[in-house]
Amino acid sequence: MNDRTNFVLRLLYHDMVAFVARWILGGVFVYQGLSKAVHPVDFLKILREYHIVESHIVLNLIAAALPWFEILCGSLLLSGIAVRGSALLLIGMLVPFTIGVLSRAMAIQAANPIPFCAIRFDCGCGAGEVIVCHKLLENSFLILLSLLLLIGRGRRWCLQYDFVKSA
Amino acid sequence: MGRELKRVLLEALVVAAVGLAVALLANLVSPRGLSLTRNYFPSGSTHGKTDGSANSNVTAVVTATNWGGQLARESVAARLKEKGLQPIDFGEAMELFRDPQYAVDLIVFIDARDDRHYAEGHIPGAYQFDRYYPEKHLPAVLPVCLSATKIVVYCTGGDCEDSEFAALTLKDAGAPLERIVVYAGGMTEWAAKGLPVETGERKSGAMRGAKP
Repeated sequence: MNDRTNFVLRLLYHDMVAFVARWILGGVFVYQGLSKAVHPVDFLKILREYHIVESHIVLNLIAAALPWFEILCGSLLLSGIAVRGSALLLIGMLVPFTIGVLSRAMAIQAANPIPFCAIRFDCGCGAGEVIVCHKLLENSFLILLSLLLLIGRGRRWCLQYDFVKSA
Repeated sequence: MGRELKRVLLEALVVAAVGLAVALLANLVSPRGLSLTRNYFPSGSTHGKTDGSANSNVTAVVTATNWGGQLARESVAARLKEKGLQPIDFGEAMELFRDPQYAVDLIVFIDARDDRHYAEGHIPGAYQFDRYYPEKHLPAVLPVCLSATKIVVYCTGGDCEDSEFAALTLKDAGAPLERIVVYAGGMTEWAAKGLPVETGERKSGAMRGAKP
């Protein structure tokens, strides 16, 4: 490995980097979760436009539970509890969200003669109307941060880094 | 490596289980919580409108070509008729608003939006009926609708579907379907035409936006 690779690896495993990643991710998810939790009906309506489920019970369950679930995962990251488990769950949420946003943007573009990056809509992400390209970039960044927490160290300044002590 | 992976997976499972329990409990105790079993989108699937012309956010971009607005109006009118609802345009809504029967509640306007939007501005004298929380609004709205000869339901306008679902909810609650009409232009068109808008509660007397 050359010096540059070593530097990048040392940086990725640096406690402060993991700390900042944890707080960015935690903060974003708590904020977005709260925005949705206080207006669950708005979130339900947006979720419906994604055409993801047939059953109204499943749709209601997702709209009712997801915002609180995000708040919990965000809070765990902020406090440094079960960091890798929470990061894994965030990846599990972010990847389908991003695919959903991309699919919807492509459907909008197919129906309207506008450039892809001019498409704006409320993706139900908790931040109101967004430019789709910005949202895709933001989600990619959040996925990278989650991966960093999943594989990195960063145990300092955590209340309980490993919630499950041994398998 | 295998043990680490197993530990992370187990941790994620524990967080997921706790998260689901917390989420369901929070939804249950929240005054704005959703009913898990209620079908909020009756007479249709859980699928929303298509992502084509009816999407208001896209409309903002394509109206420059004078293409999105017209198509959106046609799409909304077709959707309403499909559900057995009668759409009315701005002129008809104005006529009903100016009809003397409106003052005595024989013609009623129903605002199908949420508390915040209703308080920010509604058609003067309109009753609020946020259909997502019918238990809160139906006791006041239903008796008025049952004695009215014409019920005008509206929401934001554009691709907003709350007015049509509110109309169907009123029908299911006993209001005669033939008396219900949907003003598809909604609050956006009403305010854009410079007509009086009442803020706060119904009959608050606080008005804004009327053009001389």
